Amino acid sequence: MIFHYIYITVVIILALMVFACLIRAVRGPRIADRLMAVNMMGTMVMVMISVLALMLNEGYLVDVCLIYAMISFLAVVVLSKVYIGIYTEKREETRNPDSNTKEGGNSDGNR
Amino acid sequence: MGIVDWFRLIVGSAFLICGLVIFFTEIFGVFHLKYVLNRMHAAAMGDTLGISACLVGLMFFSGLNFTTLKLMLIVCFLWFSSPVSSHVLSRLEVATNENLDAHCTIYENLSDLEAELSQADEHRAADTAGSDTQSADKTGGEAS
Repeated sequence: MIFHYIYITVVIILALMVFACLIRAVRGPRIADRLMAVNMMGTMVMVMISVLALMLNEGYLVDVCLIYAMISFLAVVVLSKVYIGIYTEKREETRNPDSNTKEGGNSDGNR
Repeated sequence: MGIVDWFRLIVGSAFLICGLVIFFTEIFGVFHLKYVLNRMHAAAMGDTLGISACLVGLMFFSGLNFTTLKLMLIVCFLWFSSPVSSHVLSRLEVATNENLDAHCTIYENLSDLEAELSQADEHRAADTAGSDTQSADKTGGEAS
């Protein structure tokens, strides 16, 4: 029974911390701030799912947590690459607006 | 509850409280620091150390079964994936920021940084030989 109270307390504290991360994601001035806050939220939600798996005594919720970790990592990497590509494209357009099919030789997106 | 159950309860609660304190430190650092490349330090600490402390506490609660093995797998996966995502995020910030010079020192090629670091080492050796040892020279090596 005492384990149940510990799990409830941990989940409530983690929910408050996830809310603080959400505030950071809304207030973040740059795009990297928001992505970093989403990554932190994903980490805390992983701990919450693991606590729920032990509290409900359901082992398969840990598999859900593992898939969540993989998808969160994939989201951060893919969104970072997409934003680097968008920024590089926009900068090439503003630098020479007449030739929009210029091949960027050593742009940042290709590294 | 036997003695083993009390041991599991105490050790697991200690690890869980450690993990929650590390998460709180992460939140505090993210709100306290002023720039993304500084905030990333706090965020990466919570991603690896905080979740590993919490999940080790949950492993003590769970006992020896297959769930413990899967929790360990999550911790190992995050140890590999969190530095990669931090690196990609910092590369995004460096690639998209126009005035990065206002926040950190940028070296165009790595030999300049190495030359400055070796020069700083010589200065530090000379200072320790002399009287004042507290001349902290900020080389900004962490920025690039």
